[in-house]
Amino acid sequence: MPAQFNRRFTDWRNRLAIVFALAALTPAAALAQASGEPVTIGVSGPLTGQNAQYGAQWKKGFDLALEEVNAKGVKGRPLQYVFEDSQADPRQSVAIAQKFVSDPKIIVEVGDFSSTASMAASSIYQRAGLVQFGFTNSHPNFTKGGDFMWSNSVSQADEQPRLAKYAADLGFKHVAVLYLNTDWGRSSQAIFTQSAKSLGVDVVASEGYQPDEKDFRSTLVRVRDAQPDAIVLISYYADGALITRQTRSVGLTQPIVASGSVYSPKFIELAGEAGNGVFTESNFFPGDARPEVQAFVTKFKAKYNEEPDDFNAVAYDTIILLAAVIDKYGLDRTAIRDGLAEIKDVPSVIYGEASFDPQTRRVAGARAVYLVVKNGQFVLWDGKKPSAS
Amino acid sequence: MSSFIDYTVNGLVIGNIYALLAVGLALIFGVSNLINFAHGSVYTIGAYIGWAAITFLHTPLPVTMAIVFVACAFVGMAIERIGLRPLQGSARIAPLLATIGISFVLDQIVQLVFSPDPRALPNDLPDWRIAIGGGSIGALDLLIAGVGIGAAALLFAFLRFTKLGYAVRATAQDREAALQMGVNVNAVNSTVFAIASALGGISGLLVGMYYNHIDPAMSFQATLKGIVAQVIGGVGNVPGAIVGSLLLGLIESYGIAFLGTTYRNLFAFVLLILFLLWLPNGLFGGRRVLQSEPLTGAFIAPSKPLRLPRWALWVLTGAAFALPLVIGAPYLLQTLTNAWLAAMLALSLTLMAGTAGQISFGHAGLLAIGAYASALLTVDLDAPTYLTIPAAGLITSALGTLLIFPAFRLRGHTIAIATLAIGEVVSLVILNWESLTRGAMGVTGIPPLSIFGHEITAAREVYWLCLAIVVALALVQTRLLSSHFGRTLRAIRDDDVAARSYGIRLDRYKALAFAFGGFGAGVSGAITAHLYSYINHQTFDSQVSLLALTMVILGGMGNVVGAILGAIVLAGLPELFRLTAEYRILIYGIVLLLLIRFRPQGLMGTL
Repeated sequence: MPAQFNRRFTDWRNRLAIVFALAALTPAAALAQASGEPVTIGVSGPLTGQNAQYGAQWKKGFDLALEEVNAKGVKGRPLQYVFEDSQADPRQSVAIAQKFVSDPKIIVEVGDFSSTASMAASSIYQRAGLVQFGFTNSHPNFTKGGDFMWSNSVSQADEQPRLAKYAADLGFKHVAVLYLNTDWGRSSQAIFTQSAKSLGVDVVASEGYQPDEKDFRSTLVRVRDAQPDAIVLISYYADGALITRQTRSVGLTQPIVASGSVYSPKFIELAGEAGNGVFTESNFFPGDARPEVQAFVTKFKAKYNEEPDDFNAVAYDTIILLAAVIDKYGLDRTAIRDGLAEIKDVPSVIYGEASFDPQTRRVAGARAVYLVVKNGQFVLWDGKKPSAS
Repeated sequence: MSSFIDYTVNGLVIGNIYALLAVGLALIFGVSNLINFAHGSVYTIGAYIGWAAITFLHTPLPVTMAIVFVACAFVGMAIERIGLRPLQGSARIAPLLATIGISFVLDQIVQLVFSPDPRALPNDLPDWRIAIGGGSIGALDLLIAGVGIGAAALLFAFLRFTKLGYAVRATAQDREAALQMGVNVNAVNSTVFAIASALGGISGLLVGMYYNHIDPAMSFQATLKGIVAQVIGGVGNVPGAIVGSLLLGLIESYGIAFLGTTYRNLFAFVLLILFLLWLPNGLFGGRRVLQSEPLTGAFIAPSKPLRLPRWALWVLTGAAFALPLVIGAPYLLQTLTNAWLAAMLALSLTLMAGTAGQISFGHAGLLAIGAYASALLTVDLDAPTYLTIPAAGLITSALGTLLIFPAFRLRGHTIAIATLAIGEVVSLVILNWESLTRGAMGVTGIPPLSIFGHEITAAREVYWLCLAIVVALALVQTRLLSSHFGRTLRAIRDDDVAARSYGIRLDRYKALAFAFGGFGAGVSGAITAHLYSYINHQTFDSQVSLLALTMVILGGMGNVVGAILGAIVLAGLPELFRLTAEYRILIYGIVLLLLIRFRPQGLMGTL
C-alpha cells in the first residue's frame, strides 16, 4: 500500500507515546487554573494507522502549550481540545468536519495532517465559516481553499529559496535535484529551481521518484551523466537515506544537500556511515541558541524527558497562537478569522515572532539553521565549504 | 555507451532482488496453482524476525539466516493449513482471496507490533566492492545472486531427482491421481509452502540489509514485482522466474534511462499486461498453465439468496429517504453518504465479478477515471456539474471497457493479476500525464455539486442525491438481472463454452456489463471529487479496490441488495468503532477469511 504523506520526523517509541497521549487527554482540561466553561478547539488528525506517530507528536506539543495557556486561560476560561482520529484519510476527515461544524462548542479547527485529508474537508469548513488551521499543510493551494483556511506551516516558498541559498553558500554551481513526486516534492522542486537560478546555481538534472521507490541506482546514473557538482535531495528522511546510501554504488562522490525534511535521527540511523557529510537545514533544531527555542526545549524535556522534534514544536506554536487570538479577539468563529488577519508578533518557536499575511493567510520568515551531519550527529554548519571532489 | 553498461548492471542488480521473490512464488504456483498474495507478507516477516534476532540476540549473519529460514517455514505451513487446505475443491479464486486476507492480517500484525516507521537493518558483511563500468557492486549483491540462483538450482534438482520431488510434481499435475497413488498430498503442499516461505523470509532479510531499511509497507510492492517477474518467466516455472526477474529489472532500468524515474512502475505494469495478452504462458511456461477450467474464476458459491419481500425493500428505502428529516446530524448523514458512494462502487463490482464472473482487483481505477473526468471538465472547461457527472459516468464506462476489453479472454488468476495491473496503470498514468491531470499536485478547487445555479452542499441534500442515485442504479441493475441480459451473463459465468455454443458473443456481453458497471463507478468517483474539492492520484488507491471486493463478498456476489448492505456495513463500521480503527484492516482481513471459509455466499447469498 502506498505509504504516502509527510513522513517527516518521527518517534519510534510511538506505541508508548499514544498510551501517554491518551492518558493525557482527559486531565488536559482538569489541570486548568482558569475557571468556567472550557473553550474548545477541534483537532482532526491521525492517531492510528500509517501516520499514527504524528498525531502522538502533536498531542505532546498541544498538552505542553495548554498547561501554559491555562495558567490564566483565554478570556478567563480554560482552553481544551477534542482530538478526532481521521487516520489522515479523506473519507474520515470529511465526516469529522461535518461533526465539528455542527457542534457550536468548537470555535476553531486544527488539522488535518496530509494535504489529501485536509483539503478534502476544506470546503465544508469554508461553507460553515469555521477556521481550518492547518499547521502541517505545505501544499501551496491549501490556504487558497477560502478565507477560513489559515496555516502557520513553513511555506515551501520560504524554505526552498533558503536551501538554494545554502547550496550557493557551499559554493556549488551545477546541482542535480532528486525530488519526491508528491504535491509537496513537486511544488518544492519548482520553487527550488527558480531560486537556484536567480542565485547563479544551475540545475542540470531533475528527477522525480515515487514514495515507495527503493532502488535508485539507475536514477543516479542519470544524475551522474549530468555531471553536477552536488546533489540536492527534496526528500523525507527514509527515501533521503536510501538515496544517500546508493550514491556510492554508482560511483558518485559529490556532496549531498538535503531539504530540512530529512532532519530526523532516523535519517542518520537509516543512512548509516553514508549519512556523514550530508548538508541540511532545519526550522527547528534543539541546539539552536535562540532563547525561545531553548525555553521550549527545557520545558519539553522537563515534561516528557525527551528531546522535542519539529512536530512537537509546530503543535506547541499552534496552540499558543490560537490562544492568543481567542484571548484578544473573542470566542466567535468569524472573530477568530478576523483576528488571525490582525494579530501581530505572537511568540513562536519556529518564527521567533509570527504574524500572518492577510492575503496568503500564511506566516512568512521562518527561522532556520544550517546543519551538517558529523560523526552520526546533526551539528551546526561551521561555515567550511566542502573541498572540491 | 558506458552509461548503457551501467544501466544494464543496475537492471541486473535489481532483477536479482526480484528473483529471490519470484522463485518462491513460482514454486507455490507450480504445485498448487495458486498465486500467493501473502508471499510479500512472509518476506516482510522474515525481515522483521531478522531485525529482532540481530538487535536482541546479536546473531551473526549465518545464524540470523537460519533463524529466519526456520521461522518463515513455519509461517508458510500455517498459511497452507489456514488458507489453502480447507478450501480445496472450492472455486479456484477462493484460495487466492484467502491469501489476500492472510496478507492483510500478517501485514497489519507486523505494523501493530513494530509500528509503521522504517527501521535500519545493518549487516556484518565485509565492506568491499567490485568496480563494474562506472559503478560497483558489493558483497551483498553477490550473496543475493548466490542465494537466488542457488535456491533455483537446488529446487530444480529437488523436483527432478528426489522422491519427494516426484510427489510434488505428481501433485501439481493431477492432485486426485497423486492421491490415488498414495502420495500424501497435504504433506507435499505443506512442504512446498514451507520451502517457498523460508526462501521468501530470507529474501526479506537480504533485501532489508541491502537497503538498510525495512518497513511494514514493503510487502505489497514486493508481491507485485514478484508476480510480474513470474508472469514474464512463465507462471510456475522456477528457472523462468529468474530470467523473468532479470528481464523485468533490465526493462525498468532502461525505462528510467529513456524517460525518467517516475516511469519505472508504468513500464513494469505495461510489460505485465502485454505478456498476459500475448504470451500468457511467459517465456518458459509451456502449455500447462492454459489448461483452465470452464469457470471464469468467479467466486460463486451455490446458494439460495435471501429474498426480502418487495414491500420490505420499499419500506427500508422510504425510511432511508426520511432519515434526514428525523435526524439532522450532518456527521451521521456524511457517514451514510460515504456508504451510498461506496454502494455505487459495490453495485458495479458485484455486476462484473458476481454476475459476469470477471473479478476485478483494480476497481478503484474506475473511481479515479470518473473523478478526474468530472473534475477536469468543471475546472478546465467550466462545465456545469449536472452535465459533467453523467458525462463522467459515460467516460468511465467507455474508457473502463476499453481498458479491460483485451483482458476478457483471460481467465482465472490471470484476470485477477491483469485487473490489478490495470488499476495501477490508471493511477500511474494520472501521476505522469501532468499536462492533463496536474500530476502529483492533484486537482484543487473543484466546484461543489450544483443544479441550475443551486449549490448542493448541505449534508442532507448530498445525502438525498447519493441515495437517489443508488436506488436508481439498483433498480436498473435488478431489472437487467432478471432480463435476458442477466441470464446470458450468468450463463457466461457458469459455463462459457456452453454459452458460446449457444451462439452468445462473450466479449459483447461482458463489455455491456462493464459499460453499465463502469457508469455507476464513474458517477460515484465524480460525486466524490465534487464533495472533496481536491483529488490526487492517491485519493482512490488499491486499498479502495480491495475494500470494494470485501463489500461485495460480504453482501453476496451478484446480489444487488447484498452489495448495498456490504457497503453500509463496511463504510459505517469504522465510524461506529472509532477506537478500534487501528485494527480496521486487521478486521477486514479476518472478516474476508472467515467469509471465504464459512459463508462464501455472503450475508444475502449469491445470485
